[in-house]
Amino acid sequence: MASDVAKPVLCAEALSKRFGGVVASDRIDFSLRRGEMRCVIGPNGAGKSTFFGLLCGILRPDAGRVFLKGRDVTHLPAFRRVRMGLGLTFQTNRTFHALTVAENLETARRASARDAADDAHFRAAYAAFDLAGSARLLARELPHHQLQWLEICMALRRGPDVLLLDEPTAGMSPGETMFTADVLKMLSRDGLALIVVEHDVAFVRKVAETVTVLHQGAVFAEGPVEAVTQREDVRQIYLGRVREKAG
Amino acid sequence: MMRTLRLLNGAHDLGQGRVFWSGLALLAVAFLAYPVVASSFTATNVAYYLLNIPMALGLSLLWGYGGVLSFGQVAFYGIAGYSYGIVAGNLQEFAWGTVAAAITALLAAGLSAAAFGYFVFYARVAAWIVPILTLVLALLLATFLGLTAGYQWRVGDVQLGGYNGMTGIPALQIGGVTFQDYAFFYLVVLVVAACYIALRVWVNAHRGQVLMAIREDVLRTELLGYDVRLEQLRAFVIASVLAGVSGVLYVQWGNYITPSAIGLQQAALPVIWVAVGGRDSLLAVAIATFLLNQLTYVLSSSGNQSALVIVGGLLVAVMMFAPEGIIVGVGRARWLRALKVRRWSAHPGHGE
Amino acid sequence: MLPELTSILYQFGTNAAFLLLSALGLIVILGMMNIINLAHGEFMMLGAYAASFVVHRGMPFPLAVIMAFFATALFGIVLERLVIRRFYGRELGALVTTWGISLILAQGALLLFGPYMPPIPIPGGAVSVGVFSFSVYWLILIGISVVLVAGLALVYRATRFGLQARATMQNPIIARSLGIRTGQIYMLTFGLGAGLAGLSGALLAPTTSIAPYMGQQFVAPAFITVVVGGGANVIAGAVGSSAFLSLIETPVSLTLGTFYGTMALLVMALMVIRVLPAGISSLGARLRPIVAR
Repeated sequence: MASDVAKPVLCAEALSKRFGGVVASDRIDFSLRRGEMRCVIGPNGAGKSTFFGLLCGILRPDAGRVFLKGRDVTHLPAFRRVRMGLGLTFQTNRTFHALTVAENLETARRASARDAADDAHFRAAYAAFDLAGSARLLARELPHHQLQWLEICMALRRGPDVLLLDEPTAGMSPGETMFTADVLKMLSRDGLALIVVEHDVAFVRKVAETVTVLHQGAVFAEGPVEAVTQREDVRQIYLGRVREKAG
Repeated sequence: MMRTLRLLNGAHDLGQGRVFWSGLALLAVAFLAYPVVASSFTATNVAYYLLNIPMALGLSLLWGYGGVLSFGQVAFYGIAGYSYGIVAGNLQEFAWGTVAAAITALLAAGLSAAAFGYFVFYARVAAWIVPILTLVLALLLATFLGLTAGYQWRVGDVQLGGYNGMTGIPALQIGGVTFQDYAFFYLVVLVVAACYIALRVWVNAHRGQVLMAIREDVLRTELLGYDVRLEQLRAFVIASVLAGVSGVLYVQWGNYITPSAIGLQQAALPVIWVAVGGRDSLLAVAIATFLLNQLTYVLSSSGNQSALVIVGGLLVAVMMFAPEGIIVGVGRARWLRALKVRRWSAHPGHGE
Repeated sequence: MLPELTSILYQFGTNAAFLLLSALGLIVILGMMNIINLAHGEFMMLGAYAASFVVHRGMPFPLAVIMAFFATALFGIVLERLVIRRFYGRELGALVTTWGISLILAQGALLLFGPYMPPIPIPGGAVSVGVFSFSVYWLILIGISVVLVAGLALVYRATRFGLQARATMQNPIIARSLGIRTGQIYMLTFGLGAGLAGLSGALLAPTTSIAPYMGQQFVAPAFITVVVGGGANVIAGAVGSSAFLSLIETPVSLTLGTFYGTMALLVMALMVIRVLPAGISSLGARLRPIVAR
């Protein structure tokens, strides 16, 4: 396995997707290095969820390609991409409420005959989120923020190379949000590549180095977090003043 | 060994702990001792009430644990029954002929389920399409077998027989034992017990948890890296082989099978047993299957034609007022649970 | 050449009309309420029974057909109020429950009315083209199914009920907040679907024997038509699906017999869902994305 840091671990070329007359993804080019922490932001309806779905394989693009660890996975179903080293969580929490915390994690571990390659990230997160004490509880008995943490741990259980998180701190208190941000930064420092789709600009400022701004399905801006969030046109998108796409 | 025992006692069925298993063992002993007091005629009747339990347990796995509903399990029951009849009828002069027939029958049920299930599950259709297509499969199979009257419809020495069905099917024979009368009763009791234990271990083991995970959230399970299509197909094949087990036992019982064993009314019965007992408990399903088979047998053998109206009404009533099932409803009732909690706290170390 | 062509067209038309008539009531209920009514065949049986009853009291057949519609519709409305309304949003529960209802109806009819109802003679005679002769009644049935589909489309496009029903189908919560009485819409829709099943049963009654379990013969064709049609646009889906399936079924039935024709339907259903899991109507939605919105 090549551990060249500069080589993209996940990348997309000219990804496009239409729903009826709506262009939800418009020729998106995207590239993520190993160990990089990227935030994808944009107003409601910017195409974040579609982009997320295209990367993980829930949606099939009309055009364009997706590469995971250098391999073309455009036509692979979602579960194969997960087995290749993608981990992900959903916008709304989707743990198995009728199973215990331990059973949830066990279900996450044993998805294929091949055992998890390296679960160092999992162990770090599991310890940081302090879930061991709740292992025997049913998932439905956990408070909301711990369910979100459990879902992150499930996504990490098989030792993925890339973690895709869709609004991981939705519904958390500011304190829990900042703590989650700290844990994610720690994982990133340990070499995990992360993509976080987020609304919360405070959270984004805290964790990201680079941000990608989506607007009307296309990449509107990309760059260092401070520079991009200062840009006047990006602020205007968030305030909803830019109605027409430039060009 | 210890691990298997722990799985057997697992949480995903009614009944855990020493008291429960002692009771169940006592029940098994009672069944094994039953021929001492019963005539071979009544013992064979009781075997008849039991022999549909494997098919019902399979449907419980599929529907209750996996969230996939099949209305056509009788198709695989019929495929196994007819396959057994064909092979056993042709090989009956060989010592292991009927055993080969039983194996062939289960293979036929499993393979046809795999082929049919491939098209259904790999298409990832909406949930309501699976029961519809399996029902159509059973109906067409029954229609086809009804058309097989006449001399040209024969396989080797065996006539398929059209609506009159296949008759004179030889009983299973292992070594010097022919499974008729009391021997047939013991065979059914052992097979049913084995199916229950194996399935109970299965639902509490990893594969069973994956099945329940799919029932709860298909997309989440897929995005943990599971091939949902394969898991559903696997459960479907297991359920269909179990339906085949019941089919093979059925043709031992009466030594005949007709297309009506696969018809629309018969297709409804497994769904009724499973719904009335409580689909996500194997034990409840087994009990309901035994009792309801007894009910319909007693009603219809006394010439009463209202059996189908009664079980149909029972199904509607259960779906409306006790959708989790009658036996599961009683088993999980709060007063019973309160009783259990007190018992476990008095004897720590048994419960979870 | 012309007689042969006419004969093939006639076979094709009767098969398509049979599929469409078998499926019509089922489609209305599925498309508008997302409920699969497994007692559909028994509703058709009730329609045939009502028609037989009326005809043998000396009334004309067309009147009997209309009375069958209203009788079954009324029965459907009562059933919706008592049972079905508990199952909105639980499609598997509805499927199982309606199966229980179907058992009760079929066996109940046997217990109440005995194994046969007096048959209804086929109205109209035959016309011949060359060596082939065609049943006038089947030609009328083809015409009636066209009229029924057009009428149904009109009801949903052009009437107040149709507009409210479509709104309810797309988003019941918003429809309710706009003051639409969704419970009433569901009740009427189920009544309409049941009535159409009864109407079809009455129309097809002269072509078959009228018996408690006659509904079974409609189960395979009706449900396969619905599965192949899909739920995206049910009326268009049903028309497309019955035409397509008839195209397959007709030659198979002619060469190998009726059973293999029905068998071909199942095989085609498995093939179609492999390519289009949401049925033929999803193809329409894919091809006409902007119109569909």
